[in-house]
Amino acid sequence: MSHWSDTLPVPSGQRRDQVPRDHSIYPQLLEITLHLRQAMREHFVQLTSRQGLSLEERKHTQAIREKEALLSCLICRMINLLQSEAASDLELQVPLPSEDSRGDVRYGERAQLSGQPDPVPQLSDCEAAFVSRDLSNRGIDISVFYQSSFQDYNAYQKDKYHKDKNTLGFINLGTSENKLCMDLMTERLQERDMNCIEDALLQYPDWRGQPFLREEVARFLTYYCRAPTQLDPENVVVLNGCCSVFSALAMVLCDPGEAFLVPAPFYGGFAFSSRLYAKVELIPVYLESEVTVTNTQPFQLTVDKLEEALLEARFEGKKVRGLVLINPQNPVGDIYSPDSLMKYLEFAKRYNLHVIIDEIYMLSVFDESITFHSVLSMKSLPDRNRTHVIWGTSKDFGISGFRFGALYTHNKEVVSAVSAFGYLHSISGIAQHKLCQLLQNTEWIDKVYLPTNCYRLREAHKYITAKLKALEIPFHNSSSGLYVWINLKKYLDPCTFEEERLLYCRFLDNKLLLSRGKAYMCKEPGWFCLIFADELPRLKLAMRRFCDVLEEQKEAWIVKQLEDAMRE
Amino acid sequence: MFTLPQKDFSAPTTCLGPTCLQDLGSSHGDDLEGECSRKLDQKLPELPGVGDSAMLSPNTSYLSSRGRMIKWFWDSAEEGYRTYHMDEYDENKNPSLSQSDMQRVEPSLLQYADWRGHLFLREEVAKFLSFYCKSPAPLRPENVVVLNGGASLFSALATVLCEAGEAFLIPTPYYGAITQHVCLYGNVRLACVYLDSEVTGLDTRPFQLTVEKLEMALREAHSEGVKVKGLILINPQNPLGDIYSPEELQEYLVFAKRHKLHVIVDEVYMLSVFEESAGYRSVLSLERLPDPQRTHVMWATSKDFGMSGLRFGTLYTENQDVATAVASLCRYHGLSGLVQYQMAQLLRDRDWINQVYLPENHARLKAAHTYVSEELRALGIPFLSRGAGFFIWVDLRKYLPKGTFEEEMLLWRRFLDNKVLLSFGKAFECKEPGWFRFVFSDQAHRLCLGEQPAFPAQPSLWLLLVCPHPPGHQCQLAPHFPFPGMQRVRQVLAGKSQVAEDPPSSQSQEPSDQRR
Repeated sequence: MSHWSDTLPVPSGQRRDQVPRDHSIYPQLLEITLHLRQAMREHFVQLTSRQGLSLEERKHTQAIREKEALLSCLICRMINLLQSEAASDLELQVPLPSEDSRGDVRYGERAQLSGQPDPVPQLSDCEAAFVSRDLSNRGIDISVFYQSSFQDYNAYQKDKYHKDKNTLGFINLGTSENKLCMDLMTERLQERDMNCIEDALLQYPDWRGQPFLREEVARFLTYYCRAPTQLDPENVVVLNGCCSVFSALAMVLCDPGEAFLVPAPFYGGFAFSSRLYAKVELIPVYLESEVTVTNTQPFQLTVDKLEEALLEARFEGKKVRGLVLINPQNPVGDIYSPDSLMKYLEFAKRYNLHVIIDEIYMLSVFDESITFHSVLSMKSLPDRNRTHVIWGTSKDFGISGFRFGALYTHNKEVVSAVSAFGYLHSISGIAQHKLCQLLQNTEWIDKVYLPTNCYRLREAHKYITAKLKALEIPFHNSSSGLYVWINLKKYLDPCTFEEERLLYCRFLDNKLLLSRGKAYMCKEPGWFCLIFADELPRLKLAMRRFCDVLEEQKEAWIVKQLEDAMRE
Repeated sequence: MFTLPQKDFSAPTTCLGPTCLQDLGSSHGDDLEGECSRKLDQKLPELPGVGDSAMLSPNTSYLSSRGRMIKWFWDSAEEGYRTYHMDEYDENKNPSLSQSDMQRVEPSLLQYADWRGHLFLREEVAKFLSFYCKSPAPLRPENVVVLNGGASLFSALATVLCEAGEAFLIPTPYYGAITQHVCLYGNVRLACVYLDSEVTGLDTRPFQLTVEKLEMALREAHSEGVKVKGLILINPQNPLGDIYSPEELQEYLVFAKRHKLHVIVDEVYMLSVFEESAGYRSVLSLERLPDPQRTHVMWATSKDFGMSGLRFGTLYTENQDVATAVASLCRYHGLSGLVQYQMAQLLRDRDWINQVYLPENHARLKAAHTYVSEELRALGIPFLSRGAGFFIWVDLRKYLPKGTFEEEMLLWRRFLDNKVLLSFGKAFECKEPGWFRFVFSDQAHRLCLGEQPAFPAQPSLWLLLVCPHPPGHQCQLAPHFPFPGMQRVRQVLAGKSQVAEDPPSSQSQEPSDQRR
């Protein structure tokens, strides 16, 4: 196995040792890069100075600005790197173009400094926010990646809709949270059995999770996944969230730069979990909406597509270590039949791939005519040592703030290796007790919680799909999860990701937060994900805003047509 | 001088875990003996069995190479981590967590929140630290990030401040688990600043940290081509129980500023200073920090409130870039909303902390400390302790005829065989063999558990129990002298004369021995 590591990209810290001690190219490179940045700046100034006043043009300008910020950010990182290389060579006495200015500047003093003549063009606001000389490159990468993706979410957090206090605030139909059963959960979590403070809960735990909780999880999964035999608590690791489980799995199954296959569109959170810490690539297996001879259903996953994606990745020299499946699927809402699941698992076995199956929505199947089959219900798994199942309470119990995720795997090595991350992703003993109590009470879950939750999900789904039908908007998912996957292609002209982004911004301007297809790595522009698991009054208001935006979009389109006609 | 806790993950066959863990988890060969002779130019501490892939899951095709490394961390630490962690908590101090004001459940606590931590908690942390660290100006909630424990914080800081393969300076002996914290995700190493017990030159006390030693270690690391990004200071120090004076602290910070190093100050024992006269000062109490943008302070409830299982740790930094970057990783180190609420309630209860908890805690620590130190004096054993933390740094060098780490290990095993679990100096990267850390903050009743047949073979229950505290939360001091823990120590040391006659290899050749 170790020969693979030779071909991997070496982390910069390691590479540095191997580079010949002659660093004299760095100042030159630095100078060139600084020139490049200057030239780029001027180019962008020219581009953006041609702005008009219409909404479209303003949006366009904004897009250019964002591109500029991104490029500047990249170049800044190059400069940082080059500077540190140049400076780290102790023999190098060449005065570095910007070393002095970056020497002892305090954060708050940056503004004063910009007035002084400075060989380095001053930092723009966006860069100042992202580029820091205090962070490592990967620290910057983490920060930029995260902040740029969660900018809008943070805006929502600061300005949430409230029916009395903030009627103009954001409504969030973009984050997959189930808010329908808050009343049940708050009540349940306040019951007497939840409150237990014992010494053992306050002391260093077993890092895999307290034994009582792992036992309960094993029992719970045996029951709800209909496992043919009792599941073993020793195969369970509990951490503070499914994203932590995924991150730890990515760490222990892949070396940096290696990859997992994931059918796309897929839940965007995986992109973070694979990248922030683990540096594992996700290779999308693109699925298509159009129904053809081979594609009998929209977004159908077939073994052919998996094979193709795998071969292509290998052809490009990528080392694929596994396949990630989400079942019930997020965002399309498909539920894999036992047959197709078996085919995917056999495919994985054929190529020695690990399979990570995320069943986080397994109890959120609200269509009673459909049966969900957990991978744990299979009589025999094609490759049980390479099959790893993730489940958590965030979606099925609507308690994402509780931070709980569990891994079930037969592979003892994987259990051990993931356990090593236990103390970095640990759950408070007090919370572990509450979870154990929650999962233990099967009667309440079966008789009270699940029926209520399914009923409310079904009602909310009914409401939202009726609205969509009235608007003649095509959508997917009629059976599971908290979301519908909708097609707004007809509102995009031309149908590009840029237009998709503009439409997304238009929603945002109207204080409605949605998720767009790009974030799910969808190949076709125009898809959006709509989370409907919210209270009806809020959902109604959200849909009103939604309709307004689409009206606005139509009007803008007509105006544009007219303008074009007049120009001709 | 420079230890590589492990090499890059991409080179599995030569990977090494933190030396402390290796020693616990593997058989011990001759090379440990050579360890002390290599004091100065200590390179990779060789480990028998690591080079051969047997140690790293030979038959596994399931894990990546870094995955095998990580698994090996876990496997080898399975016994060892108890050594580290079990002794890290203090006794019965689960405060008012069961009171009714603690049990609030609100929808917002059950949903995704600000990954830095709920604002109400960060506000409470800022107030708490302002008060107990005696900061000259009120600390600000926006500089606070809340995570699930100090370990996570080390991991996140290492990842965002360093590239893979870069290093932090750390004075030795130090709390050895940090090696793993910074390495597991971050792949960051620790460059040791070796301190020794001999008082020479301008030093006024053993194991004294000076700027000169810092400079030397930094130069050493540079000469080995290792890039150092920061300095880790633990104050009050673990395991020395030492306290840095404000002047010393200032000097270290100025040193760091001179070299543009970040300073991570771990103040996890700040409220466990039981000697007023020790004059402890938090770094946040300094009038002016030399380099506030590169000074990052950690605190957690695991030690000061004896709640390591609660998983609460916090970062205070004025550097918004660092705070933001750490918060970006908090998705993976989040704390349940309900626990955040309880934490805020706990930290808010200043009356209880000041009038009930801290006086009681300090009195207990002091009584236990007095008892153990008197016992040690009676045995004629030298030790260091300055009135902070839960431990005494004990000099058992005179019991090691040859003064090697192998003998240190054998002595440790002898304690273990007598159901006394101590931590040996090697686990703290101490360069002199023969030092041990005695934890004195354990409870009498846990020893009883260890002797009950219901818990026959769990090494975790064998802790050294030398603390005079009876079980029960409202405790009046009713010491149970003499404590079996100290008695056993006495027995082991008295029998030490026989050690030389024992074939030393008999135990080290049977790794299964340690699993008992």
